[in-house]
Amino acid sequence: MSDELMNSRLVRADDELDRRVLHALETAPRVEVPADFAARVADRLPARRPVSLTATHYGRNAVFLGMILTLVILIAVTLYNGRHASFGLAESVLLGQFLALTVWLSVRRHGVE
Amino acid sequence: MDVDLTFEQLVRDHQAMVFRTLLRLTGSREHIDDLAQDVFLRLYRALPSFRGEALITTYLYRIAVNVAQDEWKRRSRDDRSHVSLSDETSAWEERLAHPDRNAEQQIEEREFQQAVDEQLQRLSQIERTILILYHQEERSYEQISYTLGMPIGTVRTHLHRGRKKLREAIQQNQTSERRTACQTN
Repeated sequence: MSDELMNSRLVRADDELDRRVLHALETAPRVEVPADFAARVADRLPARRPVSLTATHYGRNAVFLGMILTLVILIAVTLYNGRHASFGLAESVLLGQFLALTVWLSVRRHGVE
Repeated sequence: MDVDLTFEQLVRDHQAMVFRTLLRLTGSREHIDDLAQDVFLRLYRALPSFRGEALITTYLYRIAVNVAQDEWKRRSRDDRSHVSLSDETSAWEERLAHPDRNAEQQIEEREFQQAVDEQLQRLSQIERTILILYHQEERSYEQISYTLGMPIGTVRTHLHRGRKKLREAIQQNQTSERRTACQTN
């Protein structure tokens, strides 16, 4: 047998093997999906967390409470340490911030509602 | 309620694809129902964060591959022996039965298919996954790249390497079988 003939036979055999391997890879296994599979999955779905339709105002209430507390502390400190000029300056700044915050919150609140 | 019904329909539309992909990725029919359920439950949990940047099928393939990876890890922990795809009453082989082919050809083809499946399970996880997604599921390079989160070039390399390894293993098998047959005769 000549080398050429031998080579051509080998090449043909290689091609045939490639074709068969590809065919085997492309042949998807047939699967039997149980008829109730989708229903069973639906049964196992976790319940979605209920969404609250009532607005809560925990944050806003906390801010108001904080403001009242700050005001009480400011007044208490003013009465107790009123003679020191340096503290009076800091106190005024805090008071100014407190008032600004109050105005801002009131405006914002009206804007939302 | 409506959401559940819609999801049930989605499951129905994609269940066959998930089953066959998992079946070939894991190489076993064992627990396939549980694994498929896991895929859909993970999809359901992930739906709120699904931004539609990919098709739902591509997203499902990604989840199926993750579930299969978890199964491989579980098996390696349990050190269980792998069960062949054809170990149970499998309709896959029956499908090969063609009235116009003789029995010998059918047996030969069935054996060849089994050999390919066995060798497929011996490849690395990534090579096996890419071969299945590309050849069986006919996914594009881009889709496989998105599913596995790797560059397209790497997908191509693994695909080429996996096919080469598979082909060589089959060839080696055939050669050794022929030798054994010659010695027996």
